[in-house]
Amino acid sequence: MSNVVLKDVHKQYQDADVLTGIDMNIEDGEFVTLLGPSGCGKSTILRILSGLTDATGGNVTIDGKDMKKVPPKNRQVGMVFQSYALFPNMTVYENVSFGLKMRKQPANEVAEQVEKMINLVGLQEKKAAYPHELSGGQQQRVALARSLVVRPKVLLLDEPLSALDAQIRKHLQVELRTIQRELNMTMILVTHDQEEAMTVSDRIFVMNQGKIAQEGTPSEIYTQPRTEFVANFIGRYNVFSKEQLGKLIGKNTEVSADKYAIRPEAIHVQAQSSAFKLSAIAGDSIMNGNVIRTTFHADNQQFTMEQLHHQASVFEKGMEYQLFVEPKDVIALS
Amino acid sequence: MKKFTIVILILIGIYLALPILATALYAFSTEWNKTILPEGLTFEWIRTLFQDARFIEAFGRSVLLSGGAVFISIMFIVPAIFVIVLYFPSLEKWFQASIVMVYAFPGIILSVGIIRFYSGTSLPMILAVMGVYVISVLPFMYQGTRNSLRNVQGRQLMDAAELLGASKMDAFRKVLLPSVYPGLFVSSLLSFSVLFGEFVLINLVVGSQFETVQIYLMTKLSTSGHIASAIVFVYIVLMGILTLVMATLTKKAKGMKRT
Repeated sequence: MSNVVLKDVHKQYQDADVLTGIDMNIEDGEFVTLLGPSGCGKSTILRILSGLTDATGGNVTIDGKDMKKVPPKNRQVGMVFQSYALFPNMTVYENVSFGLKMRKQPANEVAEQVEKMINLVGLQEKKAAYPHELSGGQQQRVALARSLVVRPKVLLLDEPLSALDAQIRKHLQVELRTIQRELNMTMILVTHDQEEAMTVSDRIFVMNQGKIAQEGTPSEIYTQPRTEFVANFIGRYNVFSKEQLGKLIGKNTEVSADKYAIRPEAIHVQAQSSAFKLSAIAGDSIMNGNVIRTTFHADNQQFTMEQLHHQASVFEKGMEYQLFVEPKDVIALS
Repeated sequence: MKKFTIVILILIGIYLALPILATALYAFSTEWNKTILPEGLTFEWIRTLFQDARFIEAFGRSVLLSGGAVFISIMFIVPAIFVIVLYFPSLEKWFQASIVMVYAFPGIILSVGIIRFYSGTSLPMILAVMGVYVISVLPFMYQGTRNSLRNVQGRQLMDAAELLGASKMDAFRKVLLPSVYPGLFVSSLLSFSVLFGEFVLINLVVGSQFETVQIYLMTKLSTSGHIASAIVFVYIVLMGILTLVMATLTKKAKGMKRT
């Protein structure tokens, strides 16, 4: 468990700014996610925290201790890599015990802790197997066990689930969160998958072009995006300019802004006196699991509406419909 | 069409294998002058060869010279390749330029250059040749080591080991080296076999003062065709064993999937 603080951290590669003014305060036992598109600098933050890359400027402290001159091996920071980085010349047992042996722990303690950790990740049957004999999901579990067994103050997870298929990924997301709660360990996950971030995190930092675009709980990030980037990245928000929205609802909103966002599921067909009214022509409807997504057109604008499958109204393509959205669901963006 | 391809392949195979088979047969023949096949078979030439102290010494010198050059390369060049590939990839272009230079200099020019540069110094010429050998195997050592490092994602293995509490030396010794060992071993064997067969440089720069297997073979060519064939046979068997070991290790390395 540990408190991690980044203060005005920046990083330059040659002349390019990879990170600019990163401030973060991560509490003990918190599960934090850095969410953003590829190249936004989220993995660089992990490498700076682990000491594998030096920051160009700013401060990193773990448990109040400045990490500037602390080498990676002494930081007590664990990391699970995207490609797992399992040692190919060692068995599952040897991989998991490696960190404890490096710390020169007594052999009986090593055996006890390794057994416990292998049991925790459910790989008792695979102790003697080599990494290339394991499936992707099993390799990911070994990587996790190997990092957890040394009881790091902070565990960094660099897109550890991205190489797995959807079903195993979803299962391991839940498992990861369960293990984190069980050990009450501070974990920082890097991902570009917003659904994964929402599933596992206490708090999310959305990143864009080397800066933190927004931070908050999954619910705050999803329901109150502050910028067009966050609205587009976090969900399938409909984003309108002030003029576009004015034309669509036939009046101005109370809050003045240049851009507005409306969640697709906030648009509905039930008439309410307080709601804004939108007249639009139905386009294609696509079923996506339990959700039906319908495209509408009005005044050369296009937006989408989402309904739960079992409650969905049927829209005939080319017909005009009256739709409604509550004023509170029209979010002003900065 | 398929039959035609097979026939052509068989003909090429015969064309390539016939001189080797004939040489091997000549090494075991009593007389082979006026007949299609040898008049008789004998182990006499092989036995004579291994009873000749000059051959054993020449063989020992070849092993020492080639093995020494490969050993120096492993001790000094390979660590440099590790550091550059893992931590300073922008410097790889200089390595690649050096490799091109190895191929750019013909043996004769290299020999004259070495003689002119070192003949006036106190450095023994055999050491100068060994130095050139160390550099000349750079292409094999560089490609083999670099490919192995990339295959196992060497930088990530080092990072992972360090984060688990290993020093750089421990990470290198316990994780990286065993992971790239098959590739490194194949590169070393390949380098050794290339140097073992080298003749131009050693003959022109050092000559008979340091008789290697190749120089010994050269002298025997004019005295006994049977003995010369026996030397070639022993050389082919040795190279065959090295190739077999390399093939086995390469297969093993390929079987090691990326993790």
